[in-house]
Amino acid sequence: MAKQFGVSDEAIIGLRDPASHPFPPDQKAALLLADAMTDGRGQVPDPLFVEVRRHFSEPQIVEIAAVIGLFNYFNRFNNALHMDVTLTDPDVLVRRAAEAVKTAGAVETLCERVVEILQQGRRYFWIGIYQRQEDRLVRRAHRGPARPSHAFRLGEGNVGSAGQSGVTKVIDDVSTDPTYKMCFAATRSELVVPIRGGGAVVGVIDVESDRPAAFDEEERTLVERVAALLVSRLI
Amino acid sequence: MGRIGRLRPDQVGADVKTLFEAFLEERGNIPNMFRTVAHRPEILTTMLAHFRAVMGPGTVPVSLKEMLAVRVSRLNDCDY
Repeated sequence: MAKQFGVSDEAIIGLRDPASHPFPPDQKAALLLADAMTDGRGQVPDPLFVEVRRHFSEPQIVEIAAVIGLFNYFNRFNNALHMDVTLTDPDVLVRRAAEAVKTAGAVETLCERVVEILQQGRRYFWIGIYQRQEDRLVRRAHRGPARPSHAFRLGEGNVGSAGQSGVTKVIDDVSTDPTYKMCFAATRSELVVPIRGGGAVVGVIDVESDRPAAFDEEERTLVERVAALLVSRLI
Repeated sequence: MGRIGRLRPDQVGADVKTLFEAFLEERGNIPNMFRTVAHRPEILTTMLAHFRAVMGPGTVPVSLKEMLAVRVSRLNDCDY
């Protein structure tokens, strides 16, 4: 969400440790106020409040403290009630992907849009789209941590195997799967869907989860429907 | 699974149903938190109004407010 409101990737990384990131002084003061209000019993030391006052008017401080207080309310409410992350309905995502197929120019742009739509809607730990180039599958777009291997040979790992067999594979537990090629220690389960067209495999969609057995029939059907939409553009 | 049941659009009154439909139209889903709070319609309607007043355009940039929201959620280990 924050990215949509103009927060840069660098700032989002900096939010892991605002005290040591070079944020502008006004932003840093507001973020340190957030830390003080969220830690323990929310006591804010006088020197920090003096610093906040140097940068913000009284109405601004009220607004900033309200944001911090509101998210503490929401977070604690959601943590206490074990709130599940909200997923978007598969039909809505398929419609969005179909729109992207119609409007996106280059294949890279299309793949970028589609991984964004699926990752935002279903909160996948990792998703990537690969396109077949001769005997290799080359990654066109991904969301999630950067992955060391950018391409797989046909038959190599689960991406390469799906590229060869043309069959969807659901792996509930990657630690027991002989074909799984480990890229992330956090990955527990995987869904590999070939993109088939003209009697051949033209690409693969690979989805990974940090939870075991994360991919049920609904997830599999969603990714297969999106794969079917992509065929005409990857051929 | 959440500890409290989430209400569907066919389980809520007219006022909440309108709010749910606006979410579906705007973002393609109804946040689970709001489906849960819908057990108490007065709390849901005022919560949404308060959320918009706090997070919408005001006296500080919306981008700063989003950064504060991300930071607080990280500190609270809240993925939601």
